[in-house]
Amino acid sequence: MKICTEQVTFELPLALESGVTLPSFELMIETYGELNSLKDNAVLVCHAFSGDHHAAGTKDEGGKAGWWDQMIGDGKTIDTSKYFVVSINNLGGCHGSSGPTSLNPETNLPFGSAFPEVSVQDWVNAQRNLLDHFGISCWEMVAGGSLGGMQALQWAITYPDKIKKAAIIAASSKISSQNIALNEVAREMIRKDENFCDGDYLAQGSKPKQGLKAARMLGHITYLSEANMSKRFGRKLQNPETKMDAAVSYEVENYLQYKGEQFAETFDANSYILMTKAMDSFDPAKNFNQDLVQCFKHIQAKLLIASFSSDWLFPKEYGKDIQMSAIKAGIRSSYIELEGDYGHDSFLFRSDEYAASLQNFLEGRDECS
Amino acid sequence: MNALEDIVNDWVEVNAKVIDFGCGDGSLLKSLSLAKATTGYGVENDPKKIQDCIANGISVIQQDIDAGLLQYKDMNFDFAIMASSIQCLRKPKVALQNILEVANKCVITLPNFGNWELRTGLLKGKMPSSPQLPAKWYETSNLHLCTIADFEELCEVEKFHIHKKIYLNSQGKTSWLTNCFPNFLAAEAIYLLGK
Repeated sequence: MKICTEQVTFELPLALESGVTLPSFELMIETYGELNSLKDNAVLVCHAFSGDHHAAGTKDEGGKAGWWDQMIGDGKTIDTSKYFVVSINNLGGCHGSSGPTSLNPETNLPFGSAFPEVSVQDWVNAQRNLLDHFGISCWEMVAGGSLGGMQALQWAITYPDKIKKAAIIAASSKISSQNIALNEVAREMIRKDENFCDGDYLAQGSKPKQGLKAARMLGHITYLSEANMSKRFGRKLQNPETKMDAAVSYEVENYLQYKGEQFAETFDANSYILMTKAMDSFDPAKNFNQDLVQCFKHIQAKLLIASFSSDWLFPKEYGKDIQMSAIKAGIRSSYIELEGDYGHDSFLFRSDEYAASLQNFLEGRDECS
Repeated sequence: MNALEDIVNDWVEVNAKVIDFGCGDGSLLKSLSLAKATTGYGVENDPKKIQDCIANGISVIQQDIDAGLLQYKDMNFDFAIMASSIQCLRKPKVALQNILEVANKCVITLPNFGNWELRTGLLKGKMPSSPQLPAKWYETSNLHLCTIADFEELCEVEKFHIHKKIYLNSQGKTSWLTNCFPNFLAAEAIYLLGK
């Protein structure tokens, strides 16, 4: 599989939903496979909350496989011997795209908390420029899980003639007040870290690692199912020799400590706040009097909506709601409920039925409704 | 194309919005879409058949029909179809009342348990089987088998209006003789119901 990673600079103004305009912006992208001569085999994959452009393959020896490596590759579900797959790091991220860690040209210091608020709509508008960058007229499919699924849905709504299929996995047309509440607790943990410095920690040479770690630990619990945690950790005690912290008793504590620590090393706290805010504000029906059916009326893409039975963060009713609005609007849309043991994170892991659904959807015949 | 596809194609209007409860691999919806440019949705609960639908480009919703038909009310469906599924439901009468809320015109098909071959099967003292009812008693999904006479009696009592009906013999064909003695000779009946 051919892998290319590049940072693309768009010397174009991007008007954000907040009213702020970015004079230019950068997107970090990674592509897999090759664009065919007709340029009709392009698939865009959108990452979830803390993901990045590295979706598949292993770039360096001993490096980490991409977040959707189980699904993308030669002979895999999204087969890179047939499809040209484009993966991005979203605006406001911290892995090479314009975001809080980028330098603010006005101050020559990192933007920090001064980086403007971004929304799912803004992300999709930024991603729209990739079509021109590659000379593609239309995505064969836009796919993503969780916050990535929201982007796939937004694509279908905003650019009806630029997308043929949208795979909306473990997603929602808007998140619940419980979801927002969990995000706010995470943000509060970050903001109250003494090294947060009102978001200007980079300029001041510090990092709110403890807050970011605690936020991730909370988040991680919500991504897993109770059954999966019981199966994986049960009430097993942590081996004293491998304890992350002297206060740790159980394996599950140690696991969260480790995951949190690892995350705090590589992720940016302002990006965390920005991305959770984008998730909270996602509500495409807001411009249509809260009427999702009206919002869907102009969709031309075919939708596949998939939910996982063990997902309690974005329960399957969220997916079914999107499906019911799609039916009312008379657009072509399928809804499936997958088993998946991993809770919300199930969208990351291949299972036979999940893989078959996505592959049949992508490669399936399209001659009728 | 099979007899049911021919018949439903004839009954459904061009550009109709159609829902097929128990759509199987989606072949009926597909033939309707090709012949009548319908917008179709299937409801199915068998994971393998759902995959067939997706691969065939048919919109499908994974759901147990018993879990509710009424959620599809007020979705402007012109036609609802329930082919060979009514006898598998927990509450067929309620299902019929509800499907008539989903669409003004409903196609219902049922295997006729009054068919003479099944009657002779019973006379031999064992649960009968036929091409329409192939499963053994211990693994059948049929809960409420009925005869044509039973079904039409229910329609009369419940005031379900039978707009059209077609009786098919065991070869899947209509005939003068089958129409004379449907409850005895028909293997399957296809109804166009309305309120």
